[in-house]
Amino acid sequence: MKTDAAPQGATSYYEAHQKIYPREIKGRFQRLRTLAVFVLLGLYYVLPWVKWGDRQALLFDLPARKFHIFNLTFWPQDFYLMAGLLIIAAVSLFFVTALAGRLWCGYACPQTVWTEVFLWMEHWTEGDRRQRMKLDKAPWGREKILRKTSKQFLWITFSIWTGFTFVGFFTPVTELGARLMTLELGPWETFWIIFYSFATYGNAGYLREQVCKYMCPYARFQSAMFDQDTLVISYDTQRGETRGSRKRGTDHKAKGLGDCIDCTLCVQVCPTGIDIRDGLQIDCIACAACIDACDQVMDKVGYPRGLVRYTTENALENKRTKVLRPRVLIYAGLLLALLVGFGYAISNRTPLLLDIIRDRNALYRMTNQGLIENVYTLKVMNMDTRAHRYSLEVSGLAGIHLDLDDKEILVESGEVATLAARVRVPENGMNESGATITLTLQALDQADLKIVEPARFIGPAPSR
Amino acid sequence: MGQTPSNDNPELEPTGKPWSQRAQDIAAVAWPSFLTGSVATMLFFAFIDPLVLQDATFPSWDLSRMTGYALGFFFFWGIAAVSSALSIFLTRSGTPLTRD
Ligand code: SF4
Ligand code: SF4
Repeated sequence: MKTDAAPQGATSYYEAHQKIYPREIKGRFQRLRTLAVFVLLGLYYVLPWVKWGDRQALLFDLPARKFHIFNLTFWPQDFYLMAGLLIIAAVSLFFVTALAGRLWCGYACPQTVWTEVFLWMEHWTEGDRRQRMKLDKAPWGREKILRKTSKQFLWITFSIWTGFTFVGFFTPVTELGARLMTLELGPWETFWIIFYSFATYGNAGYLREQVCKYMCPYARFQSAMFDQDTLVISYDTQRGETRGSRKRGTDHKAKGLGDCIDCTLCVQVCPTGIDIRDGLQIDCIACAACIDACDQVMDKVGYPRGLVRYTTENALENKRTKVLRPRVLIYAGLLLALLVGFGYAISNRTPLLLDIIRDRNALYRMTNQGLIENVYTLKVMNMDTRAHRYSLEVSGLAGIHLDLDDKEILVESGEVATLAARVRVPENGMNESGATITLTLQALDQADLKIVEPARFIGPAPSR
Repeated sequence: MGQTPSNDNPELEPTGKPWSQRAQDIAAVAWPSFLTGSVATMLFFAFIDPLVLQDATFPSWDLSRMTGYALGFFFFWGIAAVSSALSIFLTRSGTPLTRD
């Protein structure tokens, strides 16, 4: 999900950008965001290690072209399900955006989540906003070197761990770890670990909200899903203006002042460096840091909270906010339909596949008994979660007969069995040189688990 | 989008300055083409096994599936990036009339 816009490579252009030093803030929304970081990154770093039976619970096994998701196994043939899942994710994002604005950006986007963790590390090693600004201005000395190296150490270690985990979703992670320890990683494993580590390091360490401002398509098209009733973070201009500083305990209303004491705390905490009081801006990633900052100030000066708050444009204009509006209903309906369809497709999937490949060398063969014989290679894929025994039957021509090495075909869960099938037909059974026959594969232990596939049967041109 | 602090409070300095046009262009080429390239790779390899593709093209080479996926991904990313870059070039280099 990351990019290659490497901070190093782009130094000459990058210099034009001055660093933003967001100030740390505590508050209810920041607690919520921290919780989101722990939940999401917790899932990310832990999930590859979770076992389901004797294999990894979540494994997108690209080398084997099989996806394992808990007890389900998906094959390339199930691709439409994956596509469905992606579409469901996209529609969910539209739905949430129409309803609640950029919640995704503030709480769930990998860009924000990883940036948050990198900020914590920066805070631990380089101190708070003031200390960081001072440190950057200070000449290189013992302390600066020490602080900067420990930050880099944390960042790089964390990035590599992130890259390793990423690859762990695609190759069995325990074996990957063992190979890492003995330095026996394959070339592509090494490459992708470094690629993803580097992308994390660059995006979360350096680019940060610049990604949202300049690179993210979602940031630009989300406004198409917004309307007057969408939940946004906004400054209450009516209540706040005229802004201005004041002495404690003065009756500001009498002096013609609003509730904003112009402390600029909301600007200092903003990771994208904007002033929320200038109105709704496309750069705002809805992180709610300014809400927490302002609430703190309001508490201190004894005014009610919520000068900056989650609200809607209609509410700010003293109009009613409508939650159920056509846009929301359409997205919700679409989402529901997709979910139902998806659930139906998953539960009605026949976890069995039969591939029939004709013998390439000979079209047909005449046996000693004067029968026409066609040879097929069959691939039986058991996509179910347990092993099955199957029987194979063939029909479609008079006197047709099937010859298999074994009467029953045993296929383990998630495996493919390859077998040769010889089909014989007496010469008088065919009145054309080609016919379509039917192969029926039936699980012996489950009546509804069967698959019917047509195949081409070739014989000699009929003599007239 | 240029946010110069409306206030001479020293606490506010420094705020971010917008990226140069060049940097914005690079970002606008690299990231969306990465996204579309990823989607194209997924779609393509969902239907086509790299090993089968290799049999049909360069059977004498010894490539693994992982190599196939990686080559495919960089191919799609590259193609998408070229297209994005050309689009930017075209919109920027039109006659003065079509420029804004
Ligand atoms: S703007 Fe884009 S990159 Fe930034 S948080 Fe939102 S979705 Fe993520
Ligand atoms: S304006 Fe507020 S919510 Fe928006 S990015 Fe800045 S601090 Fe976060």
